[in-house]
Amino acid sequence: MTALTMPARPEQDASLRPVPWRRMAWVTWRQHRFALAGVAALLGALAAWLWLEGLHAHHAYAVAADCHPASSGACGNLVGYFLTYVSTAQTIAIVLQAVPALIGAFVGAPVLAREMETGTFRYAWTQGFGRWRWTLAKLVPLAIAVAAAAGAFSVLFSWYYQPFLTQTVSFNFQVPLDSGLFDLRGVAFAAWTLAAFAIGALAGMLIRRVVTALAATLAVYTGLALAVGLYLREHYLTPLLVKNASPPASAWVIGQQWYARGGQPVSQSTLGQVLQTAPQLAGGKGGIPQDDPTVNQYLVQHGYTLWTTYQPGSRFWPFQWIEGGWLLALSVLLIAATVWLVRRRAA
Amino acid sequence: MYSDQHLRVSDAERQAVSGQLAEHFAAGRLDQAEFDDRVGRAMSAKTRGDLRELFADLSETGAPAGPELPRGDGGTQGGGPHGPGSPIEFRLDAASGVPTYLQLVHQVEHALRLGYLTLGDQLPKVRDVVASLAINPNTVLKAYKELETKGLTAGRPGQGTFIQATLSQVALPELAGLRKALLGWLVAADGAGLDEDGMVALFTSALRDFHERRSGSRTRGGAASSETEGVA
Amino acid sequence: MNVVEASGLGKRYGGTWALRECTLAIPAGHVAALVGPNGAGKTTLLNLAVGLAAPSAGAVTVLGGRPAGSPAALDGIGFVAQDTPLYKNLSVADMLHVTRNLNRRFDQPYAQARLAELGIPLKRKAGKLSGGQQAQLALTLALARRPRLLVLDEPVAMLDPIARHDFMALVLTATVDDGVSVLLSSHVLTELERVADYLILLSRGRVQMAGEVDDLLASHRVLTGPAAEAGRYAERPVVHVRRGEAQAHLLVRAGPDDPVPPGWEAHPVGLEELALAYLREPGAAALPGPARGQALPLDTGEPSEVTR
Repeated sequence: MTALTMPARPEQDASLRPVPWRRMAWVTWRQHRFALAGVAALLGALAAWLWLEGLHAHHAYAVAADCHPASSGACGNLVGYFLTYVSTAQTIAIVLQAVPALIGAFVGAPVLAREMETGTFRYAWTQGFGRWRWTLAKLVPLAIAVAAAAGAFSVLFSWYYQPFLTQTVSFNFQVPLDSGLFDLRGVAFAAWTLAAFAIGALAGMLIRRVVTALAATLAVYTGLALAVGLYLREHYLTPLLVKNASPPASAWVIGQQWYARGGQPVSQSTLGQVLQTAPQLAGGKGGIPQDDPTVNQYLVQHGYTLWTTYQPGSRFWPFQWIEGGWLLALSVLLIAATVWLVRRRAA
Repeated sequence: MYSDQHLRVSDAERQAVSGQLAEHFAAGRLDQAEFDDRVGRAMSAKTRGDLRELFADLSETGAPAGPELPRGDGGTQGGGPHGPGSPIEFRLDAASGVPTYLQLVHQVEHALRLGYLTLGDQLPKVRDVVASLAINPNTVLKAYKELETKGLTAGRPGQGTFIQATLSQVALPELAGLRKALLGWLVAADGAGLDEDGMVALFTSALRDFHERRSGSRTRGGAASSETEGVA
Repeated sequence: MNVVEASGLGKRYGGTWALRECTLAIPAGHVAALVGPNGAGKTTLLNLAVGLAAPSAGAVTVLGGRPAGSPAALDGIGFVAQDTPLYKNLSVADMLHVTRNLNRRFDQPYAQARLAELGIPLKRKAGKLSGGQQAQLALTLALARRPRLLVLDEPVAMLDPIARHDFMALVLTATVDDGVSVLLSSHVLTELERVADYLILLSRGRVQMAGEVDDLLASHRVLTGPAAEAGRYAERPVVHVRRGEAQAHLLVRAGPDDPVPPGWEAHPVGLEELALAYLREPGAAALPGPARGQALPLDTGEPSEVTR
């Protein structure tokens, strides 16, 4: 049996240097440019809107703040005009909560899910680049890209929201540490976007179907964000307590509780009954006006103690670093898990 | 086409032409009288033009306009007297049951007999055969090796495989005598009650026997005896 | 060098073994065909060889001892999976670009020349090509990597006859031009006879037959004879029996030099008949081993006279 002759090959494969990492840059870009363009379009549109709206709000604020005397009717009108921007700002803050989840899901989940669903992993993972390097070379640049875009956006957002956080004209209705605001500013927005991306990537690898992985990413992210916003964030550092007084300005009030003379917590209904004895202070049927200094003073005089738990506004940045830090660690862990799964997975 | 009509021919070339005429006769394009006449003219031909005339009315079968006789230099690189490339093209009969490599061998031999191939011609390159028929290259190599073993071809390294001999020609009187004997056998077989398929089967079986005997393998006569059994 | 070597290779999915006790040594320089019915384990075996799956038992190495799935193995193997996966929304030119970036070797001029020959436009999206063109593109991409081994999983199952022919012509000319070895799987036998010179027959997750096609065909014959006598040969290396009222055909393991019993006729076997016979006899196996090449006597104790 004549065997086919093998012609001599000029290249030697004795030294098998891996294919350089940078080769994947074009591949990642080409395959995910629509997702990235979508992110750019979304953030770009929102940024444009924020920029325009923000210019107006800043102007209105500046005019109102410079108005003297502050108590005059004309200045009051200016303040009122500025305050018309508040509801929009609050609405936009709510809408932006969804952005990290959307970015993470739509960019992160399809990376692996689409390859598994369409079967193209049978092409991609049999090329010379190697499957785990391929995965890493895709996930890391995409993660950095979305996090950077989100970070830039949140800088713009902070600028936009700045007039609504000051204490002079506003009625101090929101503080930086507030749950609905904290995760849109500082490093948190970028960190949450990164985490959403990492969740999406892992979900894509586990679920292997794009739509299902997308839905799962949104669900997991929502659960996590709620858990952190409602429970975890309060405890990054031990909260401070203040007795019978208001916490300092821009503090984030976590809880307030009245205690009776003996030290037991007192319910609102009991307090309501106490207030019946001074009807001029009661603010409606059975309701206790909150933060009303005269009411508080009355209750204190009757032997009740008000303990307020809060986090001071000065802890904004420490909390940002804490939250950003553990979200970053989580993201790294999730991406590492994804790469590990890729290495291990059998067809 | 050729301006060599006037060139003298050799005995080898006359023999080759006789063989080609025998093929045409066996195919039924010439009757006995025409065949005898043309072979006689071939044997007494002096020039290439004389020989070429003999095939004037046989060209519509697809044979070249005249026997393309080898040039003096035997052909330079890339093909033989028919020019660059090979004069023949292989085809494959997938349903015939005959192994592929044997089909290729037979086609070369057939082409030699009919004059499509002569001395010095190049066989199709292995790669070209593979590309046009989509068959394993080893099959082509096997066929070419078989032809080389039979002495019909020779490989030139780096150039290809070339025809280096024609099929042995049977001398004219012997051919006529064999034909007569065969007709006699056919008459006898017919008289014994064999129909045409039976005659073909008997002949094929005997041919196989002969082939095996000639290549030295043993078959204990079982094939021949059961053939006659089966037929009766 | 063996392009694929497996010893005791097995793969289990959940509780089912898709492949068991698979031991193979496929030599280089061949076009090896992996055949078997659907579900026999062909895709599993190929996935193990190219590193898409990890063995549950045993081991598989490729290209002379490189572990399957290692960078050295990936570098030397060009793989086209079933249904020829391509990125459907990328253009043909983009697919070339991607493949070039993902591999150490890529012969761009070769790929472009091949695609031009095949009439596949570079600007068109891969998903808009016909099935045959997609298969040709996937094959061109694999070949342009200049692999030592080309692995194809049911490459022509979805193609019409012309596309099939063109595809196999491209594969086979690559074996001539570059000395690529080929391992391809198919559940259709008829066209493999022309193409393959090494055969592996898989059935129910086990290797039933493996060897050079010429050797396999030379070492089997069909004996045709009286049905009444067929039983006498039950203990001989008979692979498969087919019988009518008076006549029986025995497919036996015997070579052309083995004596034919008196009253019997011997015929050579074709590849399809041979494979089908083995598939019908799950217990039969013809694997290369020390017994290969020995003449197996068929006749003991019987008078050897020639009748008639």
